[in-house]
Amino acid sequence: MNANPVSKILVLDNDAEHLAGIKSFCEQNNLVPMKVRRGAEMSVLRTNIDLGGILYSEDYGATAEQTATIAAEIHAARPELPIILRRNEQATLADLPEASRRNFCAAYVASDMSELRKVLGEYIFCLLYPNALLRGIAEITESALQSQCRPLSVSMDTPYIVRDRVIFGELFSLIPLESPWCRGYMMLQTEESPFIRLLARQRSAAADIGFRNVNDLLSEITNLIWGGFKNRYVGDDGARAPKQVQVPLIVNHEHKYISFGTENPQLCFRFVLADPADGSTVAVYARFIFNLSWAPEEFREIQQDVAGLVDSGALELF
Amino acid sequence: MAQILVVDDSSTVRDEVSAFLRNAGLNVATAVDGKDGLSKLQADPGIKLVVCDVNMPNMDGLTMVEKIRGELNNKAVNLIMLTTESSPNMKERGKAAGVKGWIVKPFNGPAVLDAFRKLAS
Repeated sequence: MNANPVSKILVLDNDAEHLAGIKSFCEQNNLVPMKVRRGAEMSVLRTNIDLGGILYSEDYGATAEQTATIAAEIHAARPELPIILRRNEQATLADLPEASRRNFCAAYVASDMSELRKVLGEYIFCLLYPNALLRGIAEITESALQSQCRPLSVSMDTPYIVRDRVIFGELFSLIPLESPWCRGYMMLQTEESPFIRLLARQRSAAADIGFRNVNDLLSEITNLIWGGFKNRYVGDDGARAPKQVQVPLIVNHEHKYISFGTENPQLCFRFVLADPADGSTVAVYARFIFNLSWAPEEFREIQQDVAGLVDSGALELF
Repeated sequence: MAQILVVDDSSTVRDEVSAFLRNAGLNVATAVDGKDGLSKLQADPGIKLVVCDVNMPNMDGLTMVEKIRGELNNKAVNLIMLTTESSPNMKERGKAAGVKGWIVKPFNGPAVLDAFRKLAS
């Protein structure tokens, strides 16, 4: 597994010469660029989830007014996504009209990409995730999915950082993450119908698989992941009295939108369950949102007494 | 009369464990949380083994087993925890309450069937 998370960004820039530079910059900075056809920006925003940000050129529109209008529309649709403006002369937003300036989080120029790197560090890669945590979450989640969804195969993409708040699919579970070094939520998201079809094939004896079966299964997978996370990274420290600070979560069903009350980016893992019999698939997204506290310097893996380890599923008699 | 009571708030786990044990010829009852588990146990004197989750709503599994030994004064029934938890403190608490064994999920029926048969007989 690639230890460093990546982030998907939309590239709204028509300068062919500069696009080559952006491509190479993305390769060096863990970014996955997505080029969008002019006029398709809003539909791409509607259909793409898990974006980290947008690189936008001041020459993107046919006119300056059009460039400003498109930026305003994008910002209105997804205010949580940082839009970084490429300027031709100077890396500044100061000379833009106020109405236009507020659509962007920062500016850069092609001749000095260090500014862009700095902005990415500020807006997208601003939380550091220990490699052991990324690796562990991937292993725990893969194992939980495999144990509950046999004989489906499970594969995973490189973990990535997202800033959008769009909900994938129709079904999600939430569980609080509580530890001395992190507080927040884990959210599993998936699509109901493909999951029901996979389950129906998996349990061929049971004729009537419905949404409640999928609810229960997702709940148990969530439970297994949180249990694995706790056993590996929290241990008995988790018994400390929980802190009382909480913030409201907002779910807007109309817009398939969820906010955890923070501007922090989210750590996302995408898993694909595939049925080897017919190749059909369903995606499961695991998002980790450390909205209440994040202190990776205190992160540690629980050292277990190897001699005393008992395999999961085995009975440890007292 | 059931021999084994499976207590878990997850219907996925209840269905998986009880189906496996029934297929192995054992009589199984189920309960959805600790409170339900206590009342099912009181109502069925045939139960010899309780297989119980820890994290459940209304009443957690460790509180339930403490009540079985304490309030119900039932020292005879065998108690096994089936949970995602593997914290030494929790295991100690279970041991102190008279829990006989601990299984970290996911459930692996063939690995525990012989033990379950003995404890349920």
